[in-house]
Amino acid sequence: MAKISAMRQFRAILKKDIVMELRTKEMLTSMGLYTLLTLVVYYVALSRAGNGFDVRLIAGGLLWLAFLFTSMLGLNRSLVHEKDQGCLEALLLSPLDRPVIFFGKAVGNLIFLLIVEVLTIPIFIFMFLASSPIVGPIWEIALALLVGAIGIAGIGTLLATMSVNTSGKDFILAVLFIPIMFPLLYAVVAATSGVIIGDPGYQHLFWTSMSIGGGYDVIMLVAAYGLYEFIVGA
Amino acid sequence: MKQLRTAIVLLIVGGLLTTVDLFWAFFRSTVVSFGTVTLSKTVETARPFLGRSALGFQYGKAWFSQKIFYFHVPVAEASFLVFGVAAFFAIRFLMTRRRDFDTKSRIAMETTLLFVILTMVTGDLWTRASWGVWWQWEPRLTTYFIMTLLVIAYFVLRNSVEDEERRAVYASAFCIIAFIDAPISFMITRLIPSDHPVVFTEGGLDPSQLIPFIIGQIGMLMIGYAIYSMRMHEELLQERLAAAKESLEG
Repeated sequence: MAKISAMRQFRAILKKDIVMELRTKEMLTSMGLYTLLTLVVYYVALSRAGNGFDVRLIAGGLLWLAFLFTSMLGLNRSLVHEKDQGCLEALLLSPLDRPVIFFGKAVGNLIFLLIVEVLTIPIFIFMFLASSPIVGPIWEIALALLVGAIGIAGIGTLLATMSVNTSGKDFILAVLFIPIMFPLLYAVVAATSGVIIGDPGYQHLFWTSMSIGGGYDVIMLVAAYGLYEFIVGA
Repeated sequence: MKQLRTAIVLLIVGGLLTTVDLFWAFFRSTVVSFGTVTLSKTVETARPFLGRSALGFQYGKAWFSQKIFYFHVPVAEASFLVFGVAAFFAIRFLMTRRRDFDTKSRIAMETTLLFVILTMVTGDLWTRASWGVWWQWEPRLTTYFIMTLLVIAYFVLRNSVEDEERRAVYASAFCIIAFIDAPISFMITRLIPSDHPVVFTEGGLDPSQLIPFIIGQIGMLMIGYAIYSMRMHEELLQERLAAAKESLEG
């Protein structure tokens, strides 16, 4: 029997996740709705701040706060199904390389996260930033989103695979995820805020933060790739 | 048995060295300014508790707080080193799947937890005495707080997995990831320019300050090793006890 190439394996896993999501639309709707509700809570949180309050100062942080918690929800969901329906055991039994399982799931999570982000940004701008325009170019925000999402999806898939097998599930994922995410979060919030506020010198801040975020992504992806084999086989 | 004796000796020696460090700092080292507290270099450092000086009580309080530095930094550096040891044993466990490596990793993490808590507490006392606030989101404080959270998360993870082998694998993987993450956290708040001024900047240390500092550092590392060895010994005894119980019942 010919060995299945890694690319075909990867595409098979990715296709499985996407097809399942298109059929049930469960993850996208729950993540999208969760982000929307978070924005409503933001309104309540800022309602006493007064008219002179410049939301742009904290807009970057608010945006990433919403994405962080939505992504935790999505990551948990994506692996709970695998466990409940015995899919993970089936994946382990089939002739797939373990790291390919990691990449397949990580890219699937990345795609869903990006879709939610892309849908949320216009709504966020509409609700909060209508009167105060964003100074920097929008594509820089998109780049920051991409770098952040890659990091979240990469290390998040690893931690979610761990946490779904524990007794705490969501809680354990949050406890593990947030300290590990801290450097990336710090970098992308600095980048996004810099672009939104547009203080002089924000370009330098943006590219410094992006390079650090990119470095973090690379390091963490390599670590997750190396460790996934042990985690998923345990 | 011999290892236990070495450990106890090291513990005593380490404790003595740390005490020597503190007392030396009290009586001999020159005092410099830290943060918003400025102390004259020419003021005598003798008779600390009576606070006899031109600056009066304020001098006494601030002066004492600077000495915490001689305990705080050795503990912080020792905590990071022991964290590294724990990560090393975690890697070895994943390579060999031998249970004693997992036990060693766990005990090293317990020692790290102890040192981390000590660092946070003494650091808090120091910030309160020097800057008047209990906490500030200064880069160094924030990143060390993240490391505290990582170490606590390690133990939360260990407690939530039932199956023993799976618990060991998960804990080792998380230990490795956490150890990779800690230095990145340290660097990131340093590299990204922020509005927060870095209040605590270390210049070079006087020779009179450096010697007690190094003595304290070595002493703290000895204490760390001693605690680790003694805990290891306790674990071995417990395992022997469990095996003996099993053989009696079976």
